[in-house]
Parts: sequence; structure tokens; C-alpha cells
Amino acid sequence: MIQAKKITKVYGDQHAVDQLSLDIPQGQFFGLLGPNGSGKTTSIHMLATLIRPTSGSITINGLDVQSHPQQVRRDIGLVFQESALDRMLSIEENLYFCAGLYGINKDAITARMNALLDLFELQSKKRAPVGSLSGGMRRAVDIIRGVLHSPKVLFLDEPTVGLDLPSRRKIWRFIRQLIDDHKLTVVLTTHYLEEAAPCDNVAFIKLGKLVSEGSPEELLKELGKTIVEVDGPNVDDYIKKLNLKTEDYMLDGRTLLIRVHEPQHDQVVQIQTTLRDSVDVISVRKSNLNDVFIWLSSKDQGIS
Amino acid sequence: MLIALKSVLDRELKKTFRQKSRLLSAMVRPLIWLFVIGGGVGSIMPNSGPQNYQDTIIPGVLGMTLLFGSMMSALTTVYDKESGVMRMFIISPMPSYAVILSKLASSTLAGLVQIIMLCALLFALQQINISQLNWPLFLFSITLTAIACSALGLITAVVSKSIDNFAAIMNFVIFPVFFLSGALYPVQNLPTVLHWVATANPFTYGVDLIKHSLNIEYVSADFPLYVDVLLLSTFSILAIAFASWKFSQETTLSTLINKLTGGKR
Repeated sequence: MIQAKKITKVYGDQHAVDQLSLDIPQGQFFGLLGPNGSGKTTSIHMLATLIRPTSGSITINGLDVQSHPQQVRRDIGLVFQESALDRMLSIEENLYFCAGLYGINKDAITARMNALLDLFELQSKKRAPVGSLSGGMRRAVDIIRGVLHSPKVLFLDEPTVGLDLPSRRKIWRFIRQLIDDHKLTVVLTTHYLEEAAPCDNVAFIKLGKLVSEGSPEELLKELGKTIVEVDGPNVDDYIKKLNLKTEDYMLDGRTLLIRVHEPQHDQVVQIQTTLRDSVDVISVRKSNLNDVFIWLSSKDQGIS
Repeated sequence: MLIALKSVLDRELKKTFRQKSRLLSAMVRPLIWLFVIGGGVGSIMPNSGPQNYQDTIIPGVLGMTLLFGSMMSALTTVYDKESGVMRMFIISPMPSYAVILSKLASSTLAGLVQIIMLCALLFALQQINISQLNWPLFLFSITLTAIACSALGLITAVVSKSIDNFAAIMNFVIFPVFFLSGALYPVQNLPTVLHWVATANPFTYGVDLIKHSLNIEYVSADFPLYVDVLLLSTFSILAIAFASWKFSQETTLSTLINKLTGGKR
């Protein structure tokens, strides 16, 4: 559905995105992850026809993005980090206006609009001005706006940024429902990495370069399925005592994170017995995408 | 394309009537000019009474309504971060010239709605008489002037990298365009330098065209009708072409996109 070949974007002498290649099949829920400034947003904007790559090529649904941006835009929906709605108009007026920009008139879109409003539980609010809605509801309207014209691909650039936890959960319930109902291909960027866990595939980028790609399960397996967190006064000491390899631990402030490969049990017990007397807390937990992110974001250590 | 245009115009009308305070100030501003400045300046003119000067600036005040109405409308929507409408435009399948043209149409409409309301007020206050208007010519002149003012707003919007400060635009664009035109005084009598500037100002010809369409004593046009029409149309076409071209450029668009998406890369 989406093919990007060696796309590069240069600003001045900086490579915001460097030779990034992606292949996202139809119906996939794809997550583009990375630290701030890593080029996620630039990449998604290039995929979504908003900025032209300095070099490289992108096709969406078989159409070249650079030579047919207008046609491609009919096939894609985009939800920005910031709301693309007119605060003074009501939900309904905003959605009719948006459909109009795609050349769809009121009669043709009303049924679909109402179905989406029902799904997002906004039917009763449709005459309220967007400016009067809560952040979560406004984001929900933005997502409806993004899929109103029945796109094949939906780009979500940090769709839950700035929302509180209940709103984030709700938005995600809606998005999953949308993906299931409409067989959408979804490209997501987020820095709430737990939100990327349901993705079919994720790609981590750093300084504009692809550093790791795979399904969340594969990446977690590669990292190590268990993380041991050690809190105490002398972290450097613990590292020496345990004789850790640089790629196997991370320092997060005063907390030492150790990744544990299988067979896990022995290694965990060994850490516990070695450090028992000198540390404050040892906790053992399952690894998650945040850990993958932390390992990848550190400058001189990577997943080996 | 027509559906898109219709929704853009529909939205503009809704907004014009919903922003009550903006609409009110659009009505009050020209009246203040007419009665306070018109009355005040008129009273210090030796050879003519206050009423005469007031009459003289009626075309200028009408033009001002278009200038503020259309130009502000063209400027704000392009760079208004609060209203995310520009975001909707840039991701829609509309080509950049269509975005510019629909903005032009809606800004023109905004100006026209305001001037027609003002005319109704002026009739009610008996400042002008319905019989003093050459209606076909009047409608034609206000439309053409509104288009030119919108076009001026659009080029201001596309050439300035970021417009965060409305005071700056008021000071450096709108006020000079208004004062350095024939809105408040006949262009012919201006000192040389000001005369040149006024002659180069497209808004001068808009006001002049409105002067042609009004049959008021003490109001006389500075230029022949065809000169006004020719210059205004030429200016508008060039400005629209320039704005569309500039708007389609990578640099303009990426500045806008960065601005609209929070400046992140």
C-alpha cells in the first residue's frame, strides 16, 4: 500500500530524514517511533504529500506521491498533532465543510458522518461549537475528519498527545474499532510507546535513519523479555559486581536497568543474590517498547 | 470544485454573522470616520462646511469597509493558527491555485456583505440617497474593489514568513494603503511624492471607481473609469497569479506546514 524508497529530506546541511525505506502492506497498523527530533514528523509529512523529499520516491496505492499529490490526497486521511478544525463552527459544520473540500456534498456524506459520530459517541454534541469541546472530544472530531472521505490510509501523528489517560484510552478504543470496521492501513507516530504495542509492525528511527524494524513481539524478544530494575546508592559498583556488558544495561537516573535474555530465571536469581545486601530495591518486570526505545535512543549503546 | 467553493463560501457567511463583535466594529469603524473625522476635519476647512467634507469621504469610507473586511479575511484565515482551517486546506485534494481562488472568493464575499450592511445603515441615517447610486456600476465597483483588496491580503499573507503581529500589519500594510489613497482627499491635490505613492496604490483606483458610481456633490473622480477598471483588474490578476505560484512553492508550504504543525520536524 505504501512504499517509500530511500527517502531523504535535507534542511540546510542537516539530514532530517536519511535514506529511509518503508514497505507497509494494505491493512497494516504501522508505528513509526523515535525520540523527538528523530524525523518522525518529517517522514509522515513526506508520506502524506505535504513536503517533498529531497531524494527518493514514495508510492501510495500505486500512485507516485510527488507527481500525483492531489490524487493521493483523496486516498489518505491525516490527523495532525494540532487540531485542524474551525473552533467557531459546530462539529457538524466542520465535517460538512471538510467533506466539501473533497468535493462531497452534504447529502452524500450525512449517513457516513452520523455513523462515525455514533461510533465516537458524539451524536448528541454535533451542534456544539468545536471550541466548547474537551480536548479528547476535539481530537475525536479530528479523527472523524481524517476518515470522513473514506481514505484507504490514515496517518496519525501523535493522536493522543496532550490528552489525559481516560481520553487517551477512549481515543484508542475508537481507533481500533475504526481499523477493524474499515480495514484501514494506519501509520502512527507516537511517543507514548505503550500505545504502539498493538501495532502489527513498528520502525524505530533515530537521527533520520531507520535503526530497527519488526513486530513488537520480535523487538521485545530481541531486547530480552525481562527487565530487572535496581535502585540504590552505588550503581557503578553494581555494574562492576555483576560484570555487565555495556549493551546489557542502561542507566536511568539512579536506576539501573538490566535486560535479561533467556533462560531468565537463573540470571535474575544471580543478580538478586549478588546485590542483595547493597541495594534499596530490586524489581523484575516484563520488558516493553519503552525499554526498546530507551536502549535505541542511548547514544553509544544499541541492541546487539 | 464547485462543491468545495460552495462550502468555503458557506463557512465564510456563517463566520461573518457569528462574530458579532467583529461585524459590529466593521460597521462602527466607518461611521466613526465619517462623522468624527469627516465632521472634525470638515469644520476646519475654510471654504466648505462640515457636510461637504463628510460627503467627500463617503466613497473612501465605503472603500475602507472593503479594505478591512476583505483584506483581513484573506489575511487571517491563511495564518490563523487557532482556526485549523488552513490545515484542512493543505491536506485536501484541492490544488494550490484552487485554495487561493476559494479564499479570494470568500474574502470578497466577506467584504461585500459588510459594505452592503453599511450602505443600508447610511441609507437609514440619510447620509446617502438611493437615487444617488448608479446601481449597476456601484455593484460592479464594489465587487472589483473587494477582489483587489482580497488579492492584496493574499499576497501579504504569502510573502510574509510569519504574521504573528497584527499591529505590524495594520501599521505597515493596511494604514498606508488606506491613507495613501484617494480615500480621504482627492489625489490630484497631493504633494508630489504622496501623489506618486497614491498613484501606485491599487486601492486608490478602487475608491476612484466607487466615486464614479456615486452621484454626490463635491465627489469627483480623479481618473477616467476605464483606467480604474483596467488597473484594478490587472493588479488583481497578477496578484492572484503570484499568490498561487508562491503558495505552491515548497518553501512557502513547508514554512506554513511547520507553523501549523507546531514547528517540529
